[in-house]
Order: sequence, then C-alpha cells, then structure tokens
Amino acid sequence: MKRVAVFALAVLALAGACKKKNELAANINAANKVSNRVARFYYESGDMQLIAESRNIALPENPAAAIPVVARELMKGPAGKTAFRLFPPDTLVRGAYLLPGGNVIVDLGGPTLQKGWETGSHTEIMAIHSLVQTITSNFSDARRVRVLVNGSPAETLAGHISLARPFGPDTSLVEPRSR
Amino acid sequence: MKRLLSLGVLVLLTVASIVVAQTAGTPSSGQGTLRTASGDRPITYVIQSGQTYVSATEVAQGLGGSVESDSNGFKVTVSGSVAAFGPDSRYGVIRDDLIEMPVPPIAIEGRPYVPWQFFQGFLGRSAQDVTWDANTRVLAVRPQQRDAVGVQVSVANVQGISKIVLTLSASAEYAVAKEPSGYVVRFRSPLRAPFGEQTYEDPYIAKLTFIANELRIQLTSPDVVGDAYQLENPPRIVLDLRKGAAPVPGALQPSGVPPRPQDAPGIHTIVIDPGHGGKEVGAVGPGGLYEKDVTLAVSQKLAASLAAKTGARVVLTREDDSIVSLDQRTAIANQYKADLFLSVHMNAAVAPNAKGSETYYLSLEASDELAKKAAETENAAAAADPASDLKLILWDLAQQAYIGESSRFAQAIQEEMSSATGVGNRGVKQAPFKVLVGATMPAALVEVGFISNPEEEAKLQSAAFQAAIVDAITRAVTRYKTDYETRIGVTPPPAPATATAPATSTQAPAPAPAQTQTPAPATPQTRTER
Repeated sequence: MKRVAVFALAVLALAGACKKKNELAANINAANKVSNRVARFYYESGDMQLIAESRNIALPENPAAAIPVVARELMKGPAGKTAFRLFPPDTLVRGAYLLPGGNVIVDLGGPTLQKGWETGSHTEIMAIHSLVQTITSNFSDARRVRVLVNGSPAETLAGHISLARPFGPDTSLVEPRSR
Repeated sequence: MKRLLSLGVLVLLTVASIVVAQTAGTPSSGQGTLRTASGDRPITYVIQSGQTYVSATEVAQGLGGSVESDSNGFKVTVSGSVAAFGPDSRYGVIRDDLIEMPVPPIAIEGRPYVPWQFFQGFLGRSAQDVTWDANTRVLAVRPQQRDAVGVQVSVANVQGISKIVLTLSASAEYAVAKEPSGYVVRFRSPLRAPFGEQTYEDPYIAKLTFIANELRIQLTSPDVVGDAYQLENPPRIVLDLRKGAAPVPGALQPSGVPPRPQDAPGIHTIVIDPGHGGKEVGAVGPGGLYEKDVTLAVSQKLAASLAAKTGARVVLTREDDSIVSLDQRTAIANQYKADLFLSVHMNAAVAPNAKGSETYYLSLEASDELAKKAAETENAAAAADPASDLKLILWDLAQQAYIGESSRFAQAIQEEMSSATGVGNRGVKQAPFKVLVGATMPAALVEVGFISNPEEEAKLQSAAFQAAIVDAITRAVTRYKTDYETRIGVTPPPAPATATAPATSTQAPAPAPAQTQTPAPATPQTRTER
C-alpha cells in the first residue's frame, strides 16, 4: 500500500513539473467549418514567369484560418512537371495572419531560410511573388503580404529584396493565362 | 531498507519537480495599478521568469478600450487603434508594423496576459509613454514629452571600423566627450531610449548604456579612438571607432568632409559594390562557382578600368572575401558622397536554361503608395517613433530623389551589356533591392548572367568574358557620365561622331588608381539637386 502511495506521489510530482505553462494556443483556435474548394497555387514556368496550378483542397471557410493552409500547401511544390518550385523544399510556414485592412503577415522558417538562402535575385523575387500571388488570388480580403522569418522581421530572404514592406500582387510576373 | 529507498526516490522526484518548476519560472501574481490622466484603477500583474505581464483585458478596459479573441489570436482596441497578438510569438502587429515584446504573451485561466512592453509599443505609436515601476507596481500611461527625442541604435564592425549609428526621431543638440572608459554622447533634450543597457561582442565596443539624457559607450580598450559626424534625412549621429596609436584626450571632434577630387558638379566618385561576401556566398553554380567570387573579380577589374577611363575616384565596398551588411554598402557610398553607385551580382533561377543579363533600379511602386499613405496620416506619423512608417518612407525617398537618373544609368548599363557581351537581354527592371534603398545618388544593380545555367557559369569564370563585362559597364558609365555632365552644363555637348566615344576623349584628368581603402569618416550632406 505504501509503495502504491509513493508511486502515486511520484507521478503527481512529475506531472506538476511537466505541466505546460502556455495554454493560450488552445483557447484561440476557434472551430472552423471546412469545405472543399479549388485553389490556385503559383510556381515558376519554363518561361520564368509565374504559372497557376489548381488544386481541390479542404479549406476552412474563414479566410483568416484558410490562408495558412493555402500557404503551407504552396510549399509542397507543384504537382505538374512543367512548373518549378521556388521556395527551398524545407521551408516552413510557421503562421499566417490576416489583419484588418487586408494585410497578411506570413511567418516563414526552415533550415535554409535560417542559415541563409544561396540563390539569385530572380528566384528570390519570384518566390516572394508566388506567395503573394497565391494568397491574394485566392482570398479577396487579402491585398498585400508581408514576410517574416522565424517570427521576426528579416532584411531579405536571400540577400537582395527588402522585406521591410508588404508586397502587393505584380501581374507583370504572371503568365497571361494565369492572371 | 525498501522504505528508505522509496522515500529517497520520492524526495528526489519532488526536488526535481521544484527545480523544473523554478526553471520554467513559477508565476507570482498580484494587484497593480494602471495610472492614467483620468486616475488610478487596479490591474492584475503576473511575474514569471523575471518578466512582468499585465492583464491585456484589464489594461485595455482601463484605457477605455477592449480585447476580443478570434481564430488567430487577440485584438486590442484602444482609442480606435487596433493591435493584435497571438500565442508563441513575441511580435504583436499594428497596421503594417510590428510591436516587439521581450517574450510571447501567456494565458492564465484562459485570459491573455502580455508583457507590459506590449502596451509601450502599442501606445507609443499614438504618442503616449508607458512605464512600469517594479517597486510600486504602477503601469503609468502619460502623453509623450513633446521634446523627447526617440533614439534607435545600430552597431556594426566593417573593415576594421566599429560604427555606432544613432537614428534620431528629430534633430537634436548633442556633445560627445571622452572619458576614461570610453565616450559619452550628451543630449540637451530628454531621450526615449530603446534600452537601458546592452553589451556587444565587438572588437571595440563593450557596452552601451542610456542614463537620462546620455549614451555611455564603454570601450574594450583605452587605445580605441573615434570620430563623430552627423547625417541628415533621417537625422543620425555616427561614431566610427578604431584602434589608434594613443588615446585621444578631451572631447571628440567632429571629423571633416573626406577629400574629393573636385567639389564641382559632375561625376567624380563612383562606388562599386561586389555583391555578397564571406559566408554569404550568394548563388552557387551547378559546377560549384560562388557568386561572391565572380562579383569580387569583376568589380576589382571594373574599379581599375573606371579609374583609368573616367578619371573618377572609384571605391569598392569590399576588396576581399569579407561580409559587409547591405546597409553598410549604401552607407559607404553616402559617406564618400559618391555620384554613382553600382552593385554587381550574378543571377540564379530554378529553370536550368535561364540566361541573360538584367539591370535594376529601386522600385517606385511601393514607395509611391507609402508616400501617399504618409500624406494621409501625416499628423499621426509625425508623432510616431523613429521606426515609424514616416521614417522608413523618408529613407526610401532618399533614393527616390534620384530615381530618374537611376533609370537612365540602368538603361545605359543594360544597353551596353546586351550589345557587347552576347548574353540575352532581360531588360531594365525595378524591384525593392535592399542595397539600393537609402542611396543618395543614382544607383543601379546589374545581374550580369545566370550562374545557375551551366553554360553561363562557365562563361562567368572566364577571363575573356569578365573583360567583356568590364568593358561594357565601363562604356556605360562613361556614356552616362558624359550625358549627365552635358545635361547639367559641365561638359559641352560632344560632336555627333564622338557621341559614344570613351570619356577619355573629353576628360583631361590623368588616370587615378582605384581607391579601395576603408571609408574615411565623413559628414555627408543630403544633396537635393541632380
């Protein structure tokens, strides 16, 4: 009996030590109704323009909840062989937030962006605009996109393009049929 | 014996739980006071791991506002301004800007508690000072002192010089004095300091401390000497610190303007910026060629060629495989009062057959919209802190004043590149390149070719192709220089037959060697005419 009591106390002590201190996440994730819809994802074509690829995916009806889902889906890369992935394959979408006024904050992460992405300005520009075009073309509430890296403002993704400002869509980078 | 063993295990586990709980920071809470112009009211605070959190709801309500939750986090509304924060992020959001907190918010019994600094960042944007007194547990909110000057600090060591840049919210009177442990910058006005004390891993700077109206700079060694100078738009005080032969007694004297070949209008100083460097290798070719190596080789040859052909002083932002920050590259050009700035890069694309050169100048689109927004929110922005949109816009406008000339300069480079090097012409484009923002002279960035394409990678490392690039850019700079100086009346218009002849035919000065020394301290002035 005493042995059982000792064991129970030990379990209680461990449980107390391991109790999660931040319970905020559970409180703010309101349930969202989910339905299937066709969304457009932008990648680079062989002609070095952005080309749309459509996919039928399950999305929350609330745009604020759906935007991070779409951003994460983009990072999976193109399904077709005629388009090229722009972001490094290990890129994570840590979060995406729709703000009043139509600005979207996308928080990116992952080993390559963390250690420094070794690429040229063309890929950097196209990657940013593949994200911007994907979000703004699928959500009418979203007008501009600002990019963070690992939760913080970053100068650039790969040493060229300033991330200090949100980006609006630039259709000159998009293949005419995909606009 | 068994009983003793069980007891021992229990004690060990209990101690372990206490240690872990203390490491995680057992919270303690209490009743504090929110002090505003309309009086005091109680608020709940929590101290965890040394950080004070306040109840977001109670503080917002005390200020006549509210807190609402949605699927992404919480929205705080006070006097019509809205800020948002979420779990696990120490950044709140207000309009397009971020509010930095030392740690993320926490929840206690489902109620959000934010680091008190959240309200400092939030209300600071509407010209209110927020302070927390740890002794009296009072969160005081009061209108900002009108004469208080906001200060932002950046520290960098570049090419053997440690540079402290104090960006001010408004011009301020100050004096710099030498003390045994370092330097002191004394302001006449009260300051809104970004921190109390901060240590640095820098060869010359040990610690910066803000006390009242002073910034104290503690140096790592008594033989570090410095120069101070001012920059405008936005107002900045720059202190350059380097190893000196002997300590400099007495007050630090502002340094003079660096020598320039001529002060007359025209193009006398050109800054060439070899892209990337050090561990920032840039793009990497399929054969392993590093962008940083090609940019340096091309830029060094270009510097020599330009100095010989144009007679201008030519400065490189780096002359070896070192890291230079993007801001510093532009700062070097501004410090030398350069008349032209060119950043040299190699491109990369995911499409393996990507080829051709392209030349960029700063994007106007974003700046135009932001300038409009600034005009709409002029009053609010004028009272904002130094990191406000207005300050950033002004800094964007530094290059915007030269955007027309930058466009001409980029056009000249792209035309010569495409006609002489045989690579495809991808044209002149605009994009918000970080290295071009803030340059107070015509500025462009050339992407010479695609290092990601095996054929272009092979070309880029050949001496013959590099020479062709250097010749093309030299012709472009010479052409632009002649055109610009003709337009401003410095050089008579050339005869039609020699319109594209090298500048040496219209320039008398003897060829000067490329100057690649570290930047001299300077007092650059914002030039408004072009």
